[in-house]
Amino acid sequence: MTYLRHILDHLLKDLRLEWRSRDSINGMLFFALLVVVICGLAFDPTSYPTTTRQIAGGILWVALLFASITALNQAWNRELRNQVLEAQRMAPAPASALFLGKVIANMLFVLVVEAVLAPIFIIFFNLHVLGNIWLLALILPLGTWALVVNGTFFAALGLRARNRELLLPLLLLPISLPALLAMVQATTGVLTADLDSIQINTWIKQLAGYDIIFTTVGILLFETVLNAE
Amino acid sequence: MTWHSFFDFSTMGHRHIVFVYAGVWIAQGAYLAWIAWNWAHIKGIRR
Amino acid sequence: MEQRTPTLRSVAWLWFGITIAVLVVGFRQAIFLVPAEATMGDVQRIFYYHLPHAVLGLIFPYVNLIASLAFLFWRRRDPLNALTADALAVAAAEVTVLYVGICLATGMLWGKPAWGIWWAWDARLTSELLLWLLYVSYLLLRRYSPTGQAGTLGAVLSVFAAIDVPIVYMSIQWWRTQHPAPVFGPNGGGVDPRFYPAILWNMAGWLMWGILIMLFRFALERRRQLAEQEAALHAIEASLEIPQ
Repeated sequence: MTYLRHILDHLLKDLRLEWRSRDSINGMLFFALLVVVICGLAFDPTSYPTTTRQIAGGILWVALLFASITALNQAWNRELRNQVLEAQRMAPAPASALFLGKVIANMLFVLVVEAVLAPIFIIFFNLHVLGNIWLLALILPLGTWALVVNGTFFAALGLRARNRELLLPLLLLPISLPALLAMVQATTGVLTADLDSIQINTWIKQLAGYDIIFTTVGILLFETVLNAE
Repeated sequence: MTWHSFFDFSTMGHRHIVFVYAGVWIAQGAYLAWIAWNWAHIKGIRR
Repeated sequence: MEQRTPTLRSVAWLWFGITIAVLVVGFRQAIFLVPAEATMGDVQRIFYYHLPHAVLGLIFPYVNLIASLAFLFWRRRDPLNALTADALAVAAAEVTVLYVGICLATGMLWGKPAWGIWWAWDARLTSELLLWLLYVSYLLLRRYSPTGQAGTLGAVLSVFAAIDVPIVYMSIQWWRTQHPAPVFGPNGGGVDPRFYPAILWNMAGWLMWGILIMLFRFALERRRQLAEQEAALHAIEASLEIPQ
């Protein structure tokens, strides 16, 4: 119970800080929007609706992936100022509570971005969804969690490294490849209605399994990373 | 195969065999040489 | 240590000589003695270098993982042992990148004449590529890490990589597969016994070579660590002498 309280405290602190500045949400939102616009210009989605449906899932996730990387790079910056991180290390609360609080906060930020971005995306790409659109309400959060949980972990891992802004994508992209595959396949399956529901279910289950496994590993290893030296 | 047909560059398949066998040796040898160079340039501990 | 070094050195040279001899025999078997394969012809001889690198490229990551786990275990309990484990982890990671890289390159050179394409996004190829990417990122992380943290951060990434590769392999396996099924093992199609000498000699040769370069790299890393420790010791001694 106290563990949950610790998580909640960390979460509320992060949310309050973000609410005061709104830096990462605004940055992410505009960045993702720009990626969508650039892809729209590059692929001309209006003339080829079928092709668009096939590639839209991939474009959406790539935009979200890059956008969340820009935000995750900043995620631990607040903790670096004024030696907050050192204070966190000395705090009696378990380190994984700090990690989970941060992950949930980042998750909420990215979900806000997705909620704004999804309608814009559908408008710009003239998307006519052929499958069951409500499945996306399951796929998007699961996929986002996969990106955010690993991203937060690796942002903390590269925190004291030289050129850490470069290091995060270098570590995060290979690790999230299986998740990326599952979410792009599931999303494309919903958009095009080419996959039958059993296949989409399997992809969703894989995504959920990936989330569970990497959340567990992250919780177990976070203390090692926090006290690395 | 003989040495003659090994260095027969007429088809893509034959060219690629030579590339593979030469390339593997070059890559492995270069790595070994790199280690040896570093080995020679770090002085061991004096006792 | 002093008595051990000359013996070790001669053992290493002997091992190196035998390895080269085995590799030369393997080369002769693969190119000149073994008959050409019926459907693919001579191109199939690439297989004798491709297979050992593919198989061994899957074994060295385990060495890296075990060394990383040992490092994490000893990190607080026994720092000197932990340094040794760390050196082994670096060595295994670099050899992994080398072997998997060679496996990918030879595979592409084989795929172009055999399939007509350089690359296919199928289960084996993609997971092998992912393995390569992960270990390159492992080496980059170690390079960029601040002094003293490279071992810990690398070990953590190694655990992540060890979980990631099986997942991607399984998730793509039923998605698309073009690569032929493994020839050995329970589901293997089997190989004509006439090809065995080429396969086994090259397998043995590249295994011996891999062990040689991994241990050499390990020794280099140990030498570097010891030189660093000695430099640190000198610095401390020098700093003690200045005041008074």
